[in-house]
Amino acid sequence: MSEPANALEISGLRAGYDASDVLLGIQMHVGASERVGLFGPNGHGKTTLLNTISRVIRPRAGDVRFMGEPISGLPPQKIVERGLIHVPQANRLFPDMQVLETLELAAFTPRARSDLKQNLDYVLALFPRLAERRSQQCKTLSGGERQMLSIGVGLMCAPRMLMLDEPTLGLSPKLKDELADAIAGISSRGIPLLLVEQDIAFILSLVDRMYLVDHGEISREINRGGEVDHQEIMDMYFGSEGAS
Amino acid sequence: MTADTISAIIVSGLVLGSVYALMASGLSMIWTTLGIFNFAHGALMTLGAYVAWTISNSAGLGLGLAAGMAVSIAALIGAGILIERIVVRPFYDHRDILLITVMTTLATMIFLEKGIQLIWGARLKQLAPIIPGKVQLFRTTISAQETLIIVVAPLLLGALWLFLRNSRTGRGIRAVGQNPDAARLIGIDVSRLFIITFAMSAVLAGLTGVLLGSVRLLTPDFGDEPLVKALIIVIFGGLGSLSGTIVAAYLMGVVEAALTFFIGIYWAPSIVFLLLIAVLLFRPQGLMGKVAR
Repeated sequence: MSEPANALEISGLRAGYDASDVLLGIQMHVGASERVGLFGPNGHGKTTLLNTISRVIRPRAGDVRFMGEPISGLPPQKIVERGLIHVPQANRLFPDMQVLETLELAAFTPRARSDLKQNLDYVLALFPRLAERRSQQCKTLSGGERQMLSIGVGLMCAPRMLMLDEPTLGLSPKLKDELADAIAGISSRGIPLLLVEQDIAFILSLVDRMYLVDHGEISREINRGGEVDHQEIMDMYFGSEGAS
Repeated sequence: MTADTISAIIVSGLVLGSVYALMASGLSMIWTTLGIFNFAHGALMTLGAYVAWTISNSAGLGLGLAAGMAVSIAALIGAGILIERIVVRPFYDHRDILLITVMTTLATMIFLEKGIQLIWGARLKQLAPIIPGKVQLFRTTISAQETLIIVVAPLLLGALWLFLRNSRTGRGIRAVGQNPDAARLIGIDVSRLFIITFAMSAVLAGLTGVLLGSVRLLTPDFGDEPLVKALIIVIFGGLGSLSGTIVAAYLMGVVEAALTFFIGIYWAPSIVFLLLIAVLLFRPQGLMGKVAR
């Protein structure tokens, strides 16, 4: 069986809400077992891009291929079944369910269910805090614990690729380090990663390559080792176009 | 108050409460999972009773009560699926889904009731009891059928609770109710679970109809009063809480029975409503409710 070169390939992807387009033709790829970052100011389409890939919202045009096969016409549960797992931003999960119950439920597709035992052991070893809180309801978890559970839920889906949307949003530096270690551990198992982050140091410590998302388009691609142009990032944040 | 009175009130309260609990749990399930009210729920109860009558009664096909119940359950699974597909599904992405489905399910209720009247006519009908005869309960004698209702309702509700708690589909239904987007992202087919929820709710309504159809007389508006009571119970028990709904149903049954005994059948419903309004003034979220979704 020949392994396709890229885990994820996206071309000409357009999507949006109601009358307005948010994504204006995204072109990008994630290689097999590659770690790729998405960076850019809020409101420029990073979350919309992940939502469109996982088909929470419908693409208006363009093509998404996962492991070489087109998936942009599939419903979300089929995409999960194939192993492309989206861990959404600030997921409050299922407030009245217990931690362990949530993790077991997350192995919902037949493929994930057959790996339930070993994935559960892995998640509880990766996040011992979740093991301690196993019979607590999701709504009683702290922000950091909830983020760990979100990632744990993603892992229970038996991912062949993970997309994480701002996993450290609102967390303390100490927790950020903990999560960075966990995420590095996950990707060291050969799972390709697409990571959305606002924290430039955090994202650079974890990825091989990075795209800058700007006004619904990929404005730049930065390879690891390549010089990060801080001025350009500042410009993106503060909109000081022409001031440089 | 004599022991006979207390016994009579409790027994008749249990019968009422069981009927209310069966009806309201189906409505509550739909609210918790989809965030809408199904006003056709009462008409589904009526439909269940009429279908069972046609199959079982000697004036119909005369195939016996077991066949009547089986066909009735099958018919209601179909009716539940059709209602979800035709009058609810087209509006899932609409932001006024709650108000739109109030209209579409009310329209369905009228359609079903008039349809039943056209097909079966307005003449009163009655199902044969599943168990004939009388039973002495505490110090009160009631029909065996009413005793059956008291026994079957908790069994059905217990089975529903176990299903929602332990089965994969049941857990999925709870997950969809709590966070449909997160449910989608773990591979749950949300629209399939919506259909299952509707079908199960319709079957609960139909079974209530079959159980009650030998105690009361069948008319095309047989389900109206239970629907209104069930709506109030779901709100009173707390939106989004199945256990709240069940507690509220039995509470309402006993209170209604007591009021009927002491102040008579005419004023009892009004006083019941008054009490509910008073409770909701102090506990707007209902008995065991959470903040509305």
